[in-house]
Amino acid sequence: MIEITPLAVSAADLVVGTAPVSGHDVRLSLAPAAARYSLRARDPATLAGVIGRALPTRIGDMQGGIACLGPDEYYALLPAGERVPDGAGLPVSVVDVSDRALGFVVEGTGAAAAIATGCPLDLDRFAVGRATRTLFETVEIILLREDTTRFRIEVWRSFAPWLWHALVAAIADR
Amino acid sequence: MLLIHCPYCDEDRAEVEFVYGGEAHIARPLDPSALDDTQWESYLYLRRNPRGRHHERWRHTYGCGRFFNAVRDTVSDVIETTYKAGEARR
Ligand SMILES: [Zn+2]
Repeated sequence: MIEITPLAVSAADLVVGTAPVSGHDVRLSLAPAAARYSLRARDPATLAGVIGRALPTRIGDMQGGIACLGPDEYYALLPAGERVPDGAGLPVSVVDVSDRALGFVVEGTGAAAAIATGCPLDLDRFAVGRATRTLFETVEIILLREDTTRFRIEVWRSFAPWLWHALVAAIADR
Repeated sequence: MLLIHCPYCDEDRAEVEFVYGGEAHIARPLDPSALDDTQWESYLYLRRNPRGRHHERWRHTYGCGRFFNAVRDTVSDVIETTYKAGEARR
């Protein structure tokens, strides 16, 4: 039997008031606030120079909190409040999207199975340290595998209440 | 569920992550004003619609975000190969 806490709907309440849900070997919780950056550049070396950090080279890899989402696209998940230089005047795009998304942590031995209820990725082949944009049902997410039994899901704010409930339902149905 | 090989991610991914983008290798005329209406209509609307091998664009929208090209058999729906945008027709 799982206790299902009603989800607060306003963005402010979501940040501070969403109680974790546990059951059937899965725990779903809201990740702490983070700094998020969308990084684009045709030349990764230029971008790495601007932000002063190394970039992962293979699509789907993560390094130092930065995930390579596509050939010229990166997503940085950094401690809240951390700033990244914007590289004004250079052919790079560094955009602070901290408030665009919320992070969910799905962990436990049943985490992969709960995510697989709505995500088409082959999670058996989605190794620790990988990250990708994908779908949960019809909602766009970024899925990061932080450990064998711990995933992080980044989802746009307006989709977050729906996704939270969908994951709660997936956990309850296990 | 079809699995489609994204040439950028270099992985087989589920069809729901992709969006179809119409026939591939259609170059926009460099000087549209030099075309007559028939030529412009041909560029805008007329497609080969073959039975069999079809070169077409797909976008890995819910993945790396990239457009790429695929050769799909319009009868069997089998995707013969995929390759990066800008590469020669296969
Ligand atoms: Zn891709």
